[in-house]
Amino acid sequence: MTLANWARYGLAATLATAAGGMLIYRRQPRINHDAAPARSARHRRRFGDYRVTGAAVTVRATPQQILACWRNNAALWPVLEFLPFPEGHQDDLLLPPSGLRDMASRPLLTRIVTEREDELVAWRSEGEGHADMHGRLRFRDNGDKGTAVEVIVAVRPHHFASAWKTEAMMAEALELGLLRDLRRMKMLIETGEIATARLRPDAV
Amino acid sequence: MGRIVAVGKESTLEVGQRVVVPFTIFCGQCFHCSEQRYSNCDNSCPVEDQEVAEKAFGHPMAGMFGYSHLTGGYAGGQAEYVRIPYSDVVPLVVPEDIPDDRLLFLSDILPTGWMAALNADIAPGDTIAVWGCGPVGLFTILSAFQQKAGRVIAIDGVKGRLAMAEQLGAEPVNYHETDILDALIQMTGGVGPDAVIDAVGKEAHGFSVDTIADRVKQTVGLGQDRAHALRQAIMACRKGGRVSVPGVYGGKADLFPLGAMMQKGLQLRTGQTHVRRFTGELLDLIERDVIDPSFLISHRLPLDEAATGYRNFRDHQDEWIKVVMHP
Repeated sequence: MTLANWARYGLAATLATAAGGMLIYRRQPRINHDAAPARSARHRRRFGDYRVTGAAVTVRATPQQILACWRNNAALWPVLEFLPFPEGHQDDLLLPPSGLRDMASRPLLTRIVTEREDELVAWRSEGEGHADMHGRLRFRDNGDKGTAVEVIVAVRPHHFASAWKTEAMMAEALELGLLRDLRRMKMLIETGEIATARLRPDAV
Repeated sequence: MGRIVAVGKESTLEVGQRVVVPFTIFCGQCFHCSEQRYSNCDNSCPVEDQEVAEKAFGHPMAGMFGYSHLTGGYAGGQAEYVRIPYSDVVPLVVPEDIPDDRLLFLSDILPTGWMAALNADIAPGDTIAVWGCGPVGLFTILSAFQQKAGRVIAIDGVKGRLAMAEQLGAEPVNYHETDILDALIQMTGGVGPDAVIDAVGKEAHGFSVDTIADRVKQTVGLGQDRAHALRQAIMACRKGGRVSVPGVYGGKADLFPLGAMMQKGLQLRTGQTHVRRFTGELLDLIERDVIDPSFLISHRLPLDEAATGYRNFRDHQDEWIKVVMHP
């Protein structure tokens, strides 16, 4: 086969591959992200400039009891990883727990910006931290199962990979950590302790 | 089981009390515990271990003694000392005048057999087929008769265990010598058992095409469970019957006769045992001498010979039915 033929066949193969690729791409269903409940949309990790993560649990307690634990239970704060907490402060300032402190290159302070009784507490970051963060705890009646507590955090890194390490990994860790935080809070509210398999827990 | 030697500040137990401790750990406060589904407890598995089970099963499990990190990584109960979490709700305080041998199995296998029979939804006079005559299978047979089963057909390949099943009143069928589906059809006049109970679980033995395929897949890491007994039970069950699965499964199984489930309109119920839900009722039966679970004990060993006990339990199933260890 001559060089010209090689080139001709090569070109034809390339064009066929491109056409096939286009065909497959165009046959992809158009996803309506708004049709997916909460944060469950497929192939959607960013909302505008923000990466949104969250978690939910149901606690057998009222919203007031859950908020009281978050605000005042000193046993909760040291075990939190990513859920900011008020530590009894009265000025709406929230402190970053260990995971959040490790993740941001500068202290990330947040302040409560909205409170709706029995329904919602929302906060956002302030100051010169390297990331812009919004978050909220939302309460919803879940029938005889208790109160559904959902935490949603939206993060906009100011300087990609400088303030936040690899963004996707950060989001995954954040989501897992928030779920753990909610589960610890649930344990503390429902049972008064956080489960451990250690043989000699500090509680004894 | 054992005696309380120390208590935490919130415990309602007292030093010196004699207790039986269920293998399922539960908080007594969450939604599932409020409905007595103790093995579904939300709070007893440490948060760090919940993610493993969540990946495997879709939801985290309750904590359990000696049951891997899927269930919290709690050390097992075959020890001189055991810490009991949530000791205000988990342990059962038992009377002093009943011997250990009659109470010990309240911690696990007796309630497991009881729940297996309950899940079979037995009506008086029903015919029940039980796959597996190990300790759980034998207690399932005992429980099925207590729950008014008319006939129980016991299926196993170990003659010593089939003999014990026969002593309980069951009709033994040895799968080494019998075509099980054919036998069950003939024994039930062409109808099939009203309910079937798989007390075998993920480690089914035998020489059949699906078992060999399961073994090959297990060996090369493509599958986890050998579900031959469950497949056979579903095929054998009568139309509109019930399938109860106390046998433990941990992964995924293919060749599952879903078509038979659907086309025959079967109901399937399973789960880790909600031990504490049944202990009061079973203790009452023991106290009134209606049942004596100690018939199961074949050997007694000191705790430091546990490895020997486990080895013999695996290698000599004909004689080693249940080993009780004394610390």
